[in-house]
Amino acid sequence: MAHPSQLGFQDAASPVMEELLHFHDHALMIVFLISTLVLYIIVAMVSTKLTNKYILDSQEIEVIWTILPAFILILIALPSLRILYLMDEINDPHLTIKAMGHQWYWSYEYTDYEDLGFDSYMLPTQDLAPGQFRLLEADHRMVIPVESPIRVLVSAEDVLHSWAVPSLGVKMDAVPGRLNQTAFIASRPGVFYGQCSEICGANHSFMPIVVEAVPLQYFEKWSSLMLEDT
Amino acid sequence: MSLQKPLMRGMLGKRLRFHLPIAFSLSLLAAIAFKYAVTEPRKQAYADFYKQYDATKEFNAMREAGIFESVRPSEE
Repeated sequence: MAHPSQLGFQDAASPVMEELLHFHDHALMIVFLISTLVLYIIVAMVSTKLTNKYILDSQEIEVIWTILPAFILILIALPSLRILYLMDEINDPHLTIKAMGHQWYWSYEYTDYEDLGFDSYMLPTQDLAPGQFRLLEADHRMVIPVESPIRVLVSAEDVLHSWAVPSLGVKMDAVPGRLNQTAFIASRPGVFYGQCSEICGANHSFMPIVVEAVPLQYFEKWSSLMLEDT
Repeated sequence: MSLQKPLMRGMLGKRLRFHLPIAFSLSLLAAIAFKYAVTEPRKQAYADFYKQYDATKEFNAMREAGIFESVRPSEE
């Protein structure tokens, strides 16, 4: 989850998010390169006594400041496209879960083997146990097996929502009447938090997503228990 | 005794020839500094984390701490 005074991304919990982190570092490095150059040039332009500096031309510098930015853009585009294609690889998921957005809660359906479905409402602040996170906890978590490719089909029953879990590198719009697909692998066991990421009304900020990644045998026990309860 | 002819032209070019290499060098330095201060340590940190990572041990520790809802601590 996010923590106070955090500047960067949350720690990655999926391989794709790790790639995105490294790509962001690469892009930010280029941003610092250009910003330093521009800042130096601004200071140099502002601190000169020379007055005739505006109506000039030079073919050489025109070539340089056309080719160099094009080269920098290629330097950014290549890793970006690599990750884009990585995200779209055929991934043969072990499990498919449907995440449906409602005003103002999520519902999850595990229908691969049996018909398991449940709603996931935010835990009100007054009902939190010590150590739980305000506005992030939900009464029922989306439990998944760790280190397994998971496919999530995202849709909505009323208005636009968006299913997002930053540490897993996942965000997918929930559009009524449309089925959007995303996939991820949780690299390690743990609990990962997200929040609805598309404005959807009064309680848009109060419909969090909680994903719990546990080893397969515990996931199977949990899903059997859930089926008995419903 | 005649005065030396003052510098009449090429002043901007001279200034640019002095400052632009410094500007490009500083910006390259900033990029290299960021790469070795942030990018490479982050990659190494992730590599080191997963090299020694024991998922079962970590899972059991989290389980006993009561973090999970689907799996309660073993005494319960």
